[in-house]
Amino acid sequence: MTEPVTAPPRRRRPRGGTLTRYTTAFRTPKGIAAAILLLGLVAVALLAPVLAPGGYDEQTRSALASPSGSHWLGTDEFGRDILVRTIYGLRTDLSLILTAVPVSLVIGTLLGLSGYVSAWFGSLMQRVLDIILGFPGLILGIMIVLIVGAGWTALFTAIVIAGLPGFGRLARGGLLTEQQREYVLAARVLGVKKSTVMIRHILPNVVDPLLVQASIFMVVAIFIEASLSIVGLGIRPPEPSLGAMLNVGARYISELPSYVLGPGLVLLLLALAFTLLSDALNQAATRR
Amino acid sequence: MTLHNEQADPAVSERADTSVLLDVRRLRTQFDTADGVVRAVNDVTFAVRPGQILGIVGESGSGKSVTARSILRMVRPPGRITGGEVHYRGRDLLTLSDKEMRELRGREIAMVFQDPQSALNPVMKVGDQIAEALIVHGVDKKKARERARELLGQVGIPDVDRRLDDYPHQFSGGMRQRVVIAVALASSPSLLIADEPTTALDVTIQAQILRLLGRLRDELGIAVIMITHDMGVVAEMCDEVVVMYGGRVMERAPVEVIFQHPQLPYTADLLAAMPRIDEHSTGRRLPSIPGAPPDPARLPTGCPFHPRCRLRESICEREVPALVPRSEPVHLAACHVTQRGVEIPPLIPPAATADVRGGGESRQLLEITDLRVDVAADRRGLFRRHQPVYAVDGVSLAVSSGETLGLVGESGCGKSTLARTIVGINRPAAGTIRVGEHVVGSAAGAGAKVLRETVQYVFQDPYASLNPRRTIRQSLEEALAVRGVAPADRGAEAVTLLERVGLHERHLDRYPYAFSGGQRQRVGIARALAARPKLLVLDEPVSALDVSIQAQIINLLESLRDEFHLGYLFIAHDLSVVRHLSDRVVVMYLGSFVEMGDAEAVYHTPQHPYTAALLASSPIPDTAERTRERIVLGGDLPSPRNPPSGCRFRTRCPIGPLAHPDRTICIEEPPALAPTSTGQLAACHFAGELARVGAVT
Repeated sequence: MTEPVTAPPRRRRPRGGTLTRYTTAFRTPKGIAAAILLLGLVAVALLAPVLAPGGYDEQTRSALASPSGSHWLGTDEFGRDILVRTIYGLRTDLSLILTAVPVSLVIGTLLGLSGYVSAWFGSLMQRVLDIILGFPGLILGIMIVLIVGAGWTALFTAIVIAGLPGFGRLARGGLLTEQQREYVLAARVLGVKKSTVMIRHILPNVVDPLLVQASIFMVVAIFIEASLSIVGLGIRPPEPSLGAMLNVGARYISELPSYVLGPGLVLLLLALAFTLLSDALNQAATRR
Repeated sequence: MTLHNEQADPAVSERADTSVLLDVRRLRTQFDTADGVVRAVNDVTFAVRPGQILGIVGESGSGKSVTARSILRMVRPPGRITGGEVHYRGRDLLTLSDKEMRELRGREIAMVFQDPQSALNPVMKVGDQIAEALIVHGVDKKKARERARELLGQVGIPDVDRRLDDYPHQFSGGMRQRVVIAVALASSPSLLIADEPTTALDVTIQAQILRLLGRLRDELGIAVIMITHDMGVVAEMCDEVVVMYGGRVMERAPVEVIFQHPQLPYTADLLAAMPRIDEHSTGRRLPSIPGAPPDPARLPTGCPFHPRCRLRESICEREVPALVPRSEPVHLAACHVTQRGVEIPPLIPPAATADVRGGGESRQLLEITDLRVDVAADRRGLFRRHQPVYAVDGVSLAVSSGETLGLVGESGCGKSTLARTIVGINRPAAGTIRVGEHVVGSAAGAGAKVLRETVQYVFQDPYASLNPRRTIRQSLEEALAVRGVAPADRGAEAVTLLERVGLHERHLDRYPYAFSGGQRQRVGIARALAARPKLLVLDEPVSALDVSIQAQIINLLESLRDEFHLGYLFIAHDLSVVRHLSDRVVVMYLGSFVEMGDAEAVYHTPQHPYTAALLASSPIPDTAERTRERIVLGGDLPSPRNPPSGCRFRTRCPIGPLAHPDRTICIEEPPALAPTSTGQLAACHFAGELARVGAVT
C-alpha cells in the first residue's frame, strides 16, 4: 500500500516563488509595453544633462517662440526651451514618485501588519488611517505644504501620507485572512517562531495586492504632484516639474499650445506606463 | 480507440422503447484549455425512465457533474458539447434553440445543486425565489405565491406562512436545501437532476433530504438523476446505477446487481475499500486501490482504469473496452477481462506491518478536564457586553499512547474547536489540558514547548494546510528545524519522512499544486511526524479525499500508529471510518459529550438516542440494508449561542419531551455522563431506551 502514488503533476502555471511570478508579468504584451515605456522615460530623465547640457534654465532671446528645428516645442515666457524643461520636469517627477511611493508602501504595510504584534495597536492604526482617508487629497496636500513649506519635501510628504491608507488597509486585510489560513496555523502548531511565520508564510502571500496597489498609486502620485503644482504649491520655480509647467503653460494655451502639450503628453505616457504595469502585475498575481 | 466507437453499441439500439424519459446517447463534452483538450465526458450513454432514481457515481474528475450540466446544456465555455444526442421525451435537446431550451429547463427538467448556500439569492425572500421560478414560465403572481406556499409545505418546512417571507440566511443548511428542492419542483418537472444534493450536509440532515427525495418520487412520480460519490447513498436511494470513471460510463446495472455482482474491477474494489459501519474491522488493514483517479486532462490510453487495475492485461493499455451486456442484459460493463467471464478475485488487504498493537506500555498522553472554550472571546468589543459562546462546554477525555480515540459529531458540534484548543490555536476559557506531566496553561508558557513536542495536528483540507509558495522540502525542513535537527541532516531526514508516508525523494522539490489530494495529505502527515510527536490530533483527515484514496490514508495512519506507538485523537463525521480506526469512541453533540465508550460497545449497543440516530442515519453501501429501521431526526443542531436548557439534545430527541410530554426532567436537568448497563458512559436520563433500534451488527 505504500507504493508511490504517482498522479502526473498537473501542468499549471507556476505558483511558486514570488520573484518568478513577477518575471512572468513582463512576458505579457502589457508587461513588455509597460517596461519599454518606463525604461525609455527613465533613460530620458537620467540622460537629461547629456541631452541638454545647458540645464533647464538656459535662456534664449526669443520668449514664447513657436516650435522650430532648434526648439521642438518652442520656448516659454522666459525664452527657455520647453522640451528641455519637460525632460527636467520628468526627472523631478520620477525622482519624486519613485522614492515617495516605495516609502509609502513600506510604512503603510508596516502599519497594516502591526496588528500581528499587538491586536489593539493594529486596530488603533486602522483608525488613524481612516482619519487620513477622510481628508480629500488636495486639502491634505495643502495642509502639508502649509506645515512643511512648498517644494520637493512637501510633495514627497504629501504623497507618502496620501498613500498610507491604501497600503495599510490592503496589508491588514491580507494579514487577517492569512492569519486564519491552515498553513499558518500549521506553522504555529509546529512551534515556528512568530517572526518567521510572518516573513515566511504571511508576507509573501500579502505582497501581491500591495505591489499592484503601488503601481496604481504611482499614477495617483503623479496627479498629486500635478494638482499641487497647478495651484502653485508644488515645485518652486525656476525648477521645472510637469505639474508646474502645465500650470504656467495653461496661461499661454492659445498662443503656444505646445507649452502644455509637451508636459501633458509626458504625463500621459507616465500614467499609461504605470497603468499597464499594474495591469500586468495584477494578472501575474491573481492567476493561480 | 476510434475503432471501438464506430462499432454498433448494443446498448443504444436495445432501448428504443417509448417509456424512456431521458435518453442520453454517446454524449461527449470537452474543454479546450491552454493545457490542451480535456475530454470530461466521453461517449456517455444511459437512459432514465419516469419515476426512476438513477444514480451516477464517480470520484472527482470522473465527469459526473459535467454530464449533468451537458444534459441541461449548461456547460460554460471553454467547455462545449461535441457529440451525441440527449433525447427527452423523443426530442433531441442538443438541437433545440436556446429559447426552447430555456423553456424546458425548470419546467420539464430541474436541477438541485450541491451547495444550498450559493444556490439561493441571499437578498431575495425564499417565497419570491420559488415564485420567480413560476413567473418566468408565465404563471401570474398571486397563483405563483400560492404555489410557493404549497411547495414549501411539500418539502417539509414547518410554519410555512411565516417562513415564506424569510431570507435564505434565516434557514439552516438542511432547510435551505429543502428550499432549493422546492424551487426546482416549482413547475412540476418530470425529471430532477440532483448534483451531490447531500454532500454538504450532516448525516442526520442527509437522511432527512434523502427521505424527502424518495417521497417526492413516490408521490409525484418524478424521475431523479442522483449524482454522488457516496456508495451508501446509492445503495439507499437508487434503482439503477451508472458508474463513471475518467469521463466514461464503465458499468451500468440495477442497484442490487452492482452491489452483489460488480463486473468491473473498479466497482468491486471501491466497494471493498470502504470501511463498513456494520462491520468490526478494527486492527485489520483495509483493502485499497493504489494510485489516484486520473487527471481528466491526461487520461491514460485504453481503459482509463488500467494503471490502477489489478487485473490489467496488455489489451487494456491499448483499447478502450466497450460497454457490453453481461449475464443479465440489464447489466452493462466495460472491461476486457471480465468480458471473458473472468471472476474478480476478492481484494486482499495488505497485512498489518507487525502485530505490535498492544505491545509497549501504554502511557497517558493527554488528559482534558472540564474544558470550556469560548469562541467569541476574540470578538470582545469595547462598547458591548461580552456574550460568551461556548463551542466546547465542559468536556473531559484522555488519550493514551498506542490507542485511537474516535470523536464523532455533526458539523458545528464543537469537535474542531476542541481539537484546535488542544494544540493551542484556541484558548480554553476554563478547565485544564494536561500533556504528560505538564499542564498547558491558558497563557502560552512552559507547557507550550512540551505540548508541541508531544502533540501534533493533521488538518482536514490538504489543499489549505500547505503553503502554496513553498516546496515540500521547505515545508518539511521548517518542521525539522523547529525540532532542532542540524541543517546538514535535514535533507536526509526529510527524505526518510517522505518515504515513510509513501512518497518519494523526487517529490521533495515540488510545490503543493503538483500533488493530488491524497499525496498532499501524506505530506501533511509527514510534516506532523517531523516533530516526533507522541499524539496526533487528526481533524477529519480523510473526509476531503476521494473514496478510493481514503483507504490508503487510513492504512497509512494505522501502520504509523502501530509502528511509533502513537496515540490518536481521530475526529470525523463518517461513522464507518471512525469505527474502523478507533478503540474508543466519543460522541459529541452541541459542545458536550453524550456518549463515550469502547468502539464495539458504542456501535453495537448505543445507549444515547443521538448515537442511535447517527448510526441509523448513516447510509450503508449494501442494498440488503435498505430495509433496516431508520431513526430520522427532525430539526437541526441548535446554536451554541443559545443552547436548550436541561438536556441539549431534547429539541430533537425521539424519546425526549417531544415524544413523551411527561418527561420534564429532560428540560429541567442536564444529564451527566454516567455508566450504563452495557459498560459505556452516556449522558441521558433514559439511556438505553433506543439502543436496540439503532444498533448495527
